[in-house]
Amino acid sequence: MKRYLCILLCLLLAACASNPRLQEVRALAGDAPKLAGFNELSQRFRDTYQREQPYLSAEAAQREEAIDRKRHDAYPDFVALHAAATTYLRALGALAAGDTFNYGDQVKQMSEGIKAWPDTGLTDRHVNAYAGLVRLLLRAATGREQDKAVQAMLREGYEPLQGTLDAMVTLLRYFNKNHDNEQRIVLGMLEVEIPYADAPRDRLLSALARSHQQEKLREYRLLGLRHTLAAQNINALRERHAALYRGLDPLPAIDTASALPPNTRSAIAKGAQP
Amino acid sequence: MSLTAALPHDLETLADSLSASADELHERIMRGIRQQQRLLGSNGAPLTHGTAQALFENEVALRQQANSLYVDAASHSLEGMGVTLPELLRLAGEAHDTIRRIDRVKELAGISADLLAMAAAIAAARPEHLAAPLESLKKQLAARHARESA
Repeated sequence: MKRYLCILLCLLLAACASNPRLQEVRALAGDAPKLAGFNELSQRFRDTYQREQPYLSAEAAQREEAIDRKRHDAYPDFVALHAAATTYLRALGALAAGDTFNYGDQVKQMSEGIKAWPDTGLTDRHVNAYAGLVRLLLRAATGREQDKAVQAMLREGYEPLQGTLDAMVTLLRYFNKNHDNEQRIVLGMLEVEIPYADAPRDRLLSALARSHQQEKLREYRLLGLRHTLAAQNINALRERHAALYRGLDPLPAIDTASALPPNTRSAIAKGAQP
Repeated sequence: MSLTAALPHDLETLADSLSASADELHERIMRGIRQQQRLLGSNGAPLTHGTAQALFENEVALRQQANSLYVDAASHSLEGMGVTLPELLRLAGEAHDTIRRIDRVKELAGISADLLAMAAAIAAARPEHLAAPLESLKKQLAARHARESA
């Protein structure tokens, strides 16, 4: 039984490999982990206060607590954006890979997962469209149908994904500016205080402070680069997704609609005519 | 997506301006500290440790208010404040310029404190706390202009 599955898989992969679009879609989906940088930097943004606290006066710490609450409140939205983008890419990749063996579970997981994130820009319409498309593939896993399903999903998901990635890049810009101010609060405190620790009895203090200052400088420089890299990764992904969208076949509306089951027909038609 | 709408962008611009003021203030503090170190007391305005700390506290607070606005921009939680943002931006920009040119420590402390109170009222969405610092800031800037042109 296992051997048959292997052969079937090989055949499917061979069929997929013959279609350059499916290859590109799989490559795009394979880059979804590159969005993880956004998640790490969201977490770092959320935890700003924790890092700043040792350098703040009592009053400043009190002020920061209010901002800290706002950051924590906003954090789930950031996670949701990232989750929506990666789920879409994963689903797209699964479609393009022709991986039919656990579609049932995947569809279930996907629609449950997406419904759990309100306000992400993915509406019920999108969720149903994804689920319908994947179900369609369960019935007809020939290369031709698969390509159609992938194209339909690219069309339907174009605007939501572009909008989501755009929001992520904007957020990264805020994170980076927040990071700059954090850096200047921490390094600035050291810079202001170190000159006054110049009495002979403060030699040890002064040495420790300078060494700590160097460490912090390195940390912040590295983090600055990570913000830039994360934004570059998202922009590259957005560009490739847009290129795939531009390369879609012109859509013969009636043909496609009649080839699909009724529950996906309306959703796809809406997305297909911008 | 509303995350990229016009209002967050304005908040971001205001926060940028506050951050830039904090940068100027920091330059100024460090200049004062270096003068103090070289014991060039007669020339310019050297800073005692206590004054440097007090001014740095204002710098930190400016950065905090800027960061608070960045979160607001990120979570688009701020509703209309009843003040025109362009006016605030203009005043913030003027304060920023003044901080760069200012010599007297007392004036520096006063202007940064008003700027701070204004930013705090915006960040806390408390328009009722905005009027007083706004008036005081306008007065200080006007007085400064008068002295400069005299």
